[in-house]
Order: sequence, then structure tokens, then C-alpha cells
Amino acid sequence: MSTPNDPLDPNAGGQPGPASSGSGTPQPGSPQPGPSEQGSPQYGPPQSGTPYPSAPQYPQYPSGQYGASPYGQPYGQPYGYPKNSVGVWALVLGILSVTFCGCLSGIPAIIVGYASRRAAAAGEANNGGMGTAGVVLGWISVALTVLSLVWLFLLGGWAWYMETLESSTRV
Amino acid sequence: MSRVQSTSGPASAPGPVDALARRGRVTGRAARLRTPLLAAAGLAAGTLVVALRDPHTAGSYGVCPFLLLTGMPCAACGGLRATYDLAHGDVAGAWDMNPLWVLAVPVLAALWLRWTWRRWRGLPPPPGADRRSMRAAVAAGVLLVGFTVVRNLPGLAPWLAP
Repeated sequence: MSTPNDPLDPNAGGQPGPASSGSGTPQPGSPQPGPSEQGSPQYGPPQSGTPYPSAPQYPQYPSGQYGASPYGQPYGQPYGYPKNSVGVWALVLGILSVTFCGCLSGIPAIIVGYASRRAAAAGEANNGGMGTAGVVLGWISVALTVLSLVWLFLLGGWAWYMETLESSTRV
Repeated sequence: MSRVQSTSGPASAPGPVDALARRGRVTGRAARLRTPLLAAAGLAAGTLVVALRDPHTAGSYGVCPFLLLTGMPCAACGGLRATYDLAHGDVAGAWDMNPLWVLAVPVLAALWLRWTWRRWRGLPPPPGADRRSMRAAVAAGVLLVGFTVVRNLPGLAPWLAP
């Protein structure tokens, strides 16, 4: 679309562009980037060899700006954060765990909650707080379950329960 | 950008599979099917245990703390007994124990089949899957809490409580 002489086109003068940037890469005083530094923003593009898609710039974009436009999203995801549902599931499981399900949904809430926080850290979700809430609620439910087990088997609750079985207290 | 790279990338696979493989998720059909098959095996093993050890016997699986503390059945109450009845072909008995679970089993089975089918074909998550999953999470929470309330109403308890 843009002519090669367009001054705004970063690929203007296309042929020498990548070659010149590749030759100009090593800064005089800085050490050559080792394998551990391949992800650093300065040295990414010349190594990958692709002229413009500029991989190092775009991971910083969605992590910094919420509601950013879906530039460079992976395949088939038309909006920005493809894993926000994980946090919602963590929160729902956590609420259910402290209301009645106990550790039956509390342990899944912890697992899903950590997955949500990982997704938020990777920039695939922006509701990591929901995941944190799910983790906290899940641990609370685990503590409540442990307390009830202590009461059942160490403090005589089981014997009391077996006496009141007539009132249809079954799982 | 990534779309352009995927078409000009490693020449072999068509778009969706290639996109999944580049993200390091899957490498082949066996790897893709591992999670749904493991889930099915776990559920089958649990169902087998429940089918062999009758949960209608009081205390056979311990006690429910919620029921013990409140005296009220929650949304999951009767779930093990309904599973036992379903495993023995007694749909009416299962319905008496937990109608919500009886209704949920075919839905979950259909979701598992679709999940496994998409994994078999190597399809990526469809557009809007995240939003639908969010709505499903909220709906599941509302449904479970609502069912807990409804089955404890005095007028409905004879039909909905185990």
C-alpha cells in the first residue's frame, strides 16, 4: 500500500533495512547477548531476522494497557483476554466451597485459581484478583473441612452423629 | 501478524492445528486426547466405586459436614445415591435422590463428547468460548445455590430433597 519512498514506512528502502540493522546490532561496550538474554528488547529483532513484526515490543503492550485492541492476538481470539473465564470459575468454585461444598470444590478452586493467576501474569487475563479470591476461599474451605474432620474423629462428633442417624443425615 | 506467520510458517499443517502446535499445547492426537481420556477414566473409576459400595447405607462414605451442621440438604445432597441408582439403571430412584444431578449427567456427557471431538480433530477453541465459559460458571453457581434454596422450601422438599 505504501510506496517504498514513504518516509513513515519503517521498511522504507526495504532491501538494506534488515541487513543494516543486523550489522549495527552489537553495541560497542555491551557484551554479546548469551542464550539467557535472547528475550531482551534490544537484541530480539536482529536475531529473529524478521524485518518488522518486532516481537519484543508486543508482549509489553497487552500487559500494560487494559482493554487494549487485539493486535497480535493468537489465532481465533477476537478479543483481548482469552482466559478471563478461568478467574470466574475460580471465584464460583470458591464461593460454593465456603457455602456448602467444602473441599470438594475448594481444592478445584485452588487449582483453577492458581491457573487464573498464571494466565493473568502471562497477559492472557486481566482478572487475576478473581483467581486470588478463589484460592483464598478454597483454602478457607479446606481449613473448615479439616476442622470438621478433627471434630468428627478426635472430639467425639462421630459417635454423636451415629446416634442421630435417624434424621436422614446421609451423603 | 501471527496469522501471516502461521501461513508462511512450517509448511505442513492447516491453520488451526498449526496454531495450536506453535503454542506448544499439543503435538499429536495422543497428546491432545490425554486430558479428556484421563478425566473419563477418573470419573469411571469413581462411578465404579460408588456402584460397588452402596451409599444408601448410612455413613458408608462418612458424613456431610454441611448436613451435619445445618440439617439441610445442599445442592449435591443425594448425589452419590443418585449415581449409584443411575449405575444400576434405576433412573426413577436417582430422580428421587437428586433430580438436578440426573439432569446434569447427560449435559456433562454431551460436553465431554464435544470436548473430546474437538481434541480429536485438533480444533482450537471456538470464537467466544471464553465468554460462554464465563456465563456457564455464573449459571452453575446460581443454579447450585438456587437449587439448595428451592429444595429446602417446605412445599417443594417432598419432591426435591433426597
